[in-house]
Amino acid sequence: MLSKSQARWFFVGGTVFFFAIFLFLTFDTLREIPARQNSEAMTESVVRGKHLWDAKNCMGCHTILGEGAYYAPELTRVVERRGKEWIAIFLRDPEAMFPGQRRMTQYDFSEGEIQDVVAFLDWIGGIDTNGFPATPDLGRALVVAIEAPTTAPEYFGTVCVACHTVAGSGGTVGPALDGVGNRMTRAELDRWLSDPQAVKPGTAMPNLSLPDTTRGELVDWLVSLR
Amino acid sequence: MKYKSQRVAYLFFALSLTLFSLQIIYGFIMGFAHMGYDVLHDLIPFNAARATHLNLLVVWLLSGFMGAAYYIIPAEAEREIWSEKLAIVQWAALALTGVTAIVGFHFGWWEGRKFLEIPRPLDYLVVIDVLAFIFNVGMTALNGKRFTTTSIVLLLGLTAAALLYLPGMITFESQVLDSYFRWWVVHLWVEGVWELIMGGIMAFLLIQLTGVDREVIEKWLYVIVGFTFLSGILGIGHHYYYIGTPEYWLWIGGIFSALEPLAFLGMALYAVGMARLGGMNHPNRIALFWTVGCGIMSFVGAGFLGIAHTIPQVNIWTHGTLITAMHGHLAFWGAYVMIVLAMIAYAMPQMTGRKLYTGWLPEAAFWVSNIGMLGMTGAFAVAGVTQVYMERRIGMDFMAVQDAVQVHFGGVVLAATLLSIGIGMYIWNFVQYGLPNDEAVLSDS
Repeated sequence: MLSKSQARWFFVGGTVFFFAIFLFLTFDTLREIPARQNSEAMTESVVRGKHLWDAKNCMGCHTILGEGAYYAPELTRVVERRGKEWIAIFLRDPEAMFPGQRRMTQYDFSEGEIQDVVAFLDWIGGIDTNGFPATPDLGRALVVAIEAPTTAPEYFGTVCVACHTVAGSGGTVGPALDGVGNRMTRAELDRWLSDPQAVKPGTAMPNLSLPDTTRGELVDWLVSLR
Repeated sequence: MKYKSQRVAYLFFALSLTLFSLQIIYGFIMGFAHMGYDVLHDLIPFNAARATHLNLLVVWLLSGFMGAAYYIIPAEAEREIWSEKLAIVQWAALALTGVTAIVGFHFGWWEGRKFLEIPRPLDYLVVIDVLAFIFNVGMTALNGKRFTTTSIVLLLGLTAAALLYLPGMITFESQVLDSYFRWWVVHLWVEGVWELIMGGIMAFLLIQLTGVDREVIEKWLYVIVGFTFLSGILGIGHHYYYIGTPEYWLWIGGIFSALEPLAFLGMALYAVGMARLGGMNHPNRIALFWTVGCGIMSFVGAGFLGIAHTIPQVNIWTHGTLITAMHGHLAFWGAYVMIVLAMIAYAMPQMTGRKLYTGWLPEAAFWVSNIGMLGMTGAFAVAGVTQVYMERRIGMDFMAVQDAVQVHFGGVVLAATLLSIGIGMYIWNFVQYGLPNDEAVLSDS
């Protein structure tokens, strides 16, 4: 039967042995991190963004690299998902994007600070995370059934989908846009996108100040949704 | 209570229960926000409530551990505390630092790193305070009549916890490195050295409550904490799957995390086994309830619900979802809240000389609070599993899914109400005991 001193040696020996292995692995990990996190891309702007990230305790609501709180979206791949432009608009006025929904604090960031936060998130998106977050694997079966008519313009795929759904994917803040071409003419859509408030005062739709070419692309595509 | 100075533990226990009540209130603020009633947004935004909720937990558990040590170490060493005055000063400093940190969070004075939000200047105060505490209990143990295994394990756990606070105070510009060393503190605390503290307190309680031979209890204590480190140190790998660290952590983390429940299973078998062996004859049954309950619930919450999502193939989907909140709540409750409540339930009659452990109140407090916490865990689990499937696997929008799981936060809040009633009864019982008094000294059975 095990004696007390044997039990003590099991404890002391095991602890020393596994802590030594842990220190060795830490040494190796620290050697590999610079390449995996793309250290060369860590500009001063990225570092300033990281300080803002900490100073505002963004982790108190969001997760990043899957760590933080579960009240607001995971942000590891947010630049890929929404695009820099969307994030900038959102940071200027969080309520513009999700009116009447769960609220984010208005931090009154300067334009420079917004660029820093975006740079930080962009850098985070480039880290080799061993495949996190994984691409949804069960959604495909649903998407096949209601395929989008033609490929959406890039702007739609990053910014507009935050609120609008087409072919079953997108947000639920604004109305779904399937068949919008049947309901609105080209001229109406163009006027709506140029200045939503003028058409419908009090609407939750933000004025996105779109360049003519982007607006044109969007209108062309929306009209085709029938 | 054999030694007069053990009474100082009362201060720490009272602080613990006060901060615990506050922690529950902040939990409600977040529960309501998740239900769509973020009414305090402009005063206490979610991230402030969250930082407060977490740090209150850390501070009140530390206070509970300190109180436990100030009670246990003199009893084990068979002498008065080295300096009762230092203990009181150190208690006041802890309370002041903790409260300053909590108030500061409401004005954006924080570090924005989960669990380690306490700002740097206050970190130094925490370190000084903890060093003063360790010095005090350490001197008590070293100058005592005997230095028992229970004391050694408890002191080892407390000292290691203090040392491991330091990696959390290094500043990094890289989020990856920041996260890597943040887990040195958080993981190696809760899945490492805190288990030593828990094991030490549990061994003391089992020796006192079951009457089983000290040699037997302490031998198994070594085996259990041996398993803790054997699995827990490299088990840190489950935090290093997806943060920019090398791929081999998927293997190491997966294998050693799978071993982690063994330590908690050991803890559960240990508590139940010793209680059966000793025949449960001690009149303070309720303290034994909490002790054995702690062994069992720590296995369910920390062990079983931990392994339920630390396998990399599962964790790739659940990482960063409400599943973590499910596991976190029952793990902290089972392992650390219950051991502190067990210690308080044991020490109060000893310190005050009043035997208020019979009757319906303390027993109802035990059952109602445990059922409440299990209910919360269940509600978090339903919300978490739904989130994993709808958001992570089907690819629905985050907010659309949050709207869908809102109703389950109604469940969380209802179960939390039950928990609060149970804790309210526990605290009422604590108040009924009154203050420690000299007559209780030497009347100890």
